[in-house]
Amino acid sequence: MTLADTKRHSSDTGAARGWLSKNLFSSPSNSVLTVVVGSFLFFVLYAAVKFIFFDADWTIISVNKRLIFLGRYPQGEEWRVWPPLWLVFGLGGLSYGLLARASRRDLVWLGVILAFILGFLAHGGVGLLFGGATLFAIAAYRVGRMAEDRPRLRSRLRRAVIVGWLVLIPFTVVMIAAFGGVRPALWGGLLLNVLLAIVGIGVGLPLGILLALARASSLPVLKAVSTAIIEVTRGGPLVAWLFISRFVLPAFLPDWLQVDPIISAMFIVSLFTGAYVAEIVRGGLQSVDPGQSEAAHALGLNTFNVTLFIVLPQAIRAVIPALISQMIALWKDTTLFTILGFTDALGGAEAAFSQTEFIGRQKEALLFIALLFWSGSLGMSRLSQRFEKVLGIGER
Amino acid sequence: MIQAAIAAGAGLIVFYLVVKALDLDLGYGFLSGPAGFNFSNQWLTNYDSNDSRLGAYGVGILNTVRLVAIGIVMTTVLGVLAGIARLSDNWLVSRVAMVYVETIRNTPLLIQIVIWYTVVLLQLPRIAEAINVFDVFYLSNRALALPYVSTGGNFGPWLIIVVVGAVAAIVLRSWLRRREERAGGTQHATAWALALFAVVSVVTFFLTGTPLEPDTPSLEISEVGLLSIIGGLQVSPEFAAVLLGLVIYTGAFIAEIVRSGIQALPRGQDEAAAALGLSGYQRMTLIILPQALRVIIPPLTNQYLNLTKNSSLAVAIAYPEIIWVGKTMINNIGHAVPLFVLIFATYLSLSLAISVVMNTFNRRVQLAGR
Repeated sequence: MTLADTKRHSSDTGAARGWLSKNLFSSPSNSVLTVVVGSFLFFVLYAAVKFIFFDADWTIISVNKRLIFLGRYPQGEEWRVWPPLWLVFGLGGLSYGLLARASRRDLVWLGVILAFILGFLAHGGVGLLFGGATLFAIAAYRVGRMAEDRPRLRSRLRRAVIVGWLVLIPFTVVMIAAFGGVRPALWGGLLLNVLLAIVGIGVGLPLGILLALARASSLPVLKAVSTAIIEVTRGGPLVAWLFISRFVLPAFLPDWLQVDPIISAMFIVSLFTGAYVAEIVRGGLQSVDPGQSEAAHALGLNTFNVTLFIVLPQAIRAVIPALISQMIALWKDTTLFTILGFTDALGGAEAAFSQTEFIGRQKEALLFIALLFWSGSLGMSRLSQRFEKVLGIGER
Repeated sequence: MIQAAIAAGAGLIVFYLVVKALDLDLGYGFLSGPAGFNFSNQWLTNYDSNDSRLGAYGVGILNTVRLVAIGIVMTTVLGVLAGIARLSDNWLVSRVAMVYVETIRNTPLLIQIVIWYTVVLLQLPRIAEAINVFDVFYLSNRALALPYVSTGGNFGPWLIIVVVGAVAAIVLRSWLRRREERAGGTQHATAWALALFAVVSVVTFFLTGTPLEPDTPSLEISEVGLLSIIGGLQVSPEFAAVLLGLVIYTGAFIAEIVRSGIQALPRGQDEAAAALGLSGYQRMTLIILPQALRVIIPPLTNQYLNLTKNSSLAVAIAYPEIIWVGKTMINNIGHAVPLFVLIFATYLSLSLAISVVMNTFNRRVQLAGR
């Protein structure tokens, strides 16, 4: 019997021991490291489990659900939130189904998050509406998968998905604000964070692409103007820009443009995101071989068509991961609106733990919203990895 | 044609803004007036509320610079360690590093700072019941006191000698290095230089009669009969919270940069060094990191700039950096436009300073290899 055979026939405990000695105890110093880190880890896990299941009092969350998720959003107008949410779930499921088969890992994560929301937050009517949205997303995913080997259906669905995502922002804003809806000043909680992120990326992305194209253009005036906008915007932190939207902008806008502070802050966030997107897209534009546009010109396309159909698609495809990181950064930065005194999710949590009956419950409130933002960011970064794989970015 | 239209449009907007701006007072005269507010954190200055607003802004700059400078050093150490740990052969170590990166990077920095502040630092006991660690650290919700050094009588002369010693050590090291390159073998250049520097500074330290003295904090009853922490380096909870938040947050991003920088190297480098008999530590410091630095430095510079800009989040817990100073002045007397111009100019100068230093460093690293 050779050595390899012994290995193959060794029992499970042997394999486990082999794994341990290879990965944890390969040398004396490694063993010491394992013991030190292991005991530290044990301590942390012990403290975490003890806190989450025994010491913590999560009533601060269940009592203040509304404050954290909707802020000062008026009672009785919640129905306006559901159609956009269903649309997002449906589009998400459909896009995922069109892109790829769900990996088990993604499904486990999604399942955990949905179970968490359903068990912890959604009861009664909300639970039904939320559960319905989940089922809707699953159905949309199935439709997306079914289209895999039906090219015509597939291209039609693709077009529908793209139109759907484009329509989403105006649809959401109209649903919430129009027809006797809710004033922006009353938008709050996590809803405000989501709206800020959506508007920021929805306006910032096209603005950024335009700025990048202007900066890459051969017209000196256009180039100078866009370069100035990009560099000045990137020169200061977002906090400074938010204060500018509060203290400076009103002095410069004509009366008929004086809008709600949330709207002018949204405008500033879109400009800020646009400047960062512009620099990312500029990198993408530079990565496109000049031969591409030369060849397209030679085929008789005009400059507009060359840019729109030849250069931009390749440029943006190359920078999708960077764009998604920018989206994640924007999602996290929406918490900065607390500094201006808006009741976003963080502001709602701060309001919750300053109530007299919940003094000393900062931990629960802050950890809860940290978890909300964390799961959002993690979801986006997983999506980015999936995109990279499907589009083959970084592979040649 | 298009150019002219754009120029005209841009010109119109600028003209409109200028007309609007002319209604405002754009001068900086107000900066010479008395500020009228105090700082919870001061450093290196004895500013008081009768000083000018310019002085107050200077205190704000010092507070920002202190945060950024200490933050950059600490976050680099943390990030490099975590990045190396992620590639460790030890499964447990690499997993812990991965969990650190994935949780911290995906959580908003502001929430982290608020957690450090309200959940950790403000929950420390009052000064009277300050946690006493070995009689050298005192932790309370008003101040964290760490052992520090205070300057004695001959500190000035000694400092000059130490600087001269450092210059001499650098000269010695480069001379030994040149000999090494000519003659081959090793001359232990760094060791000799360090020894020279150590001997010079230690010997003159005693000759000048201990210019630096240890300054450990202690809990004492002050003249007014209140218990307070006296001596040592006292750090406010605001500063500590922002610093911890910035260092740990940026460290997670730097860890990813270091990891990808190391992974960009061909595995053969590490294997060849191992075949030559170098230890794990030697391989990392002599072979891997110097080469990985070329890939690491540009994105690392970016992270330093991010840290600088993110230091503005300190305003959320009222740590008095420049944005806080600006906001306070605007609330008192207005003048928002000139103040924001000043704030942007400050951030721009800080960013430029960091970029210049890092670009110089980058050029040296690139040249060394090729």
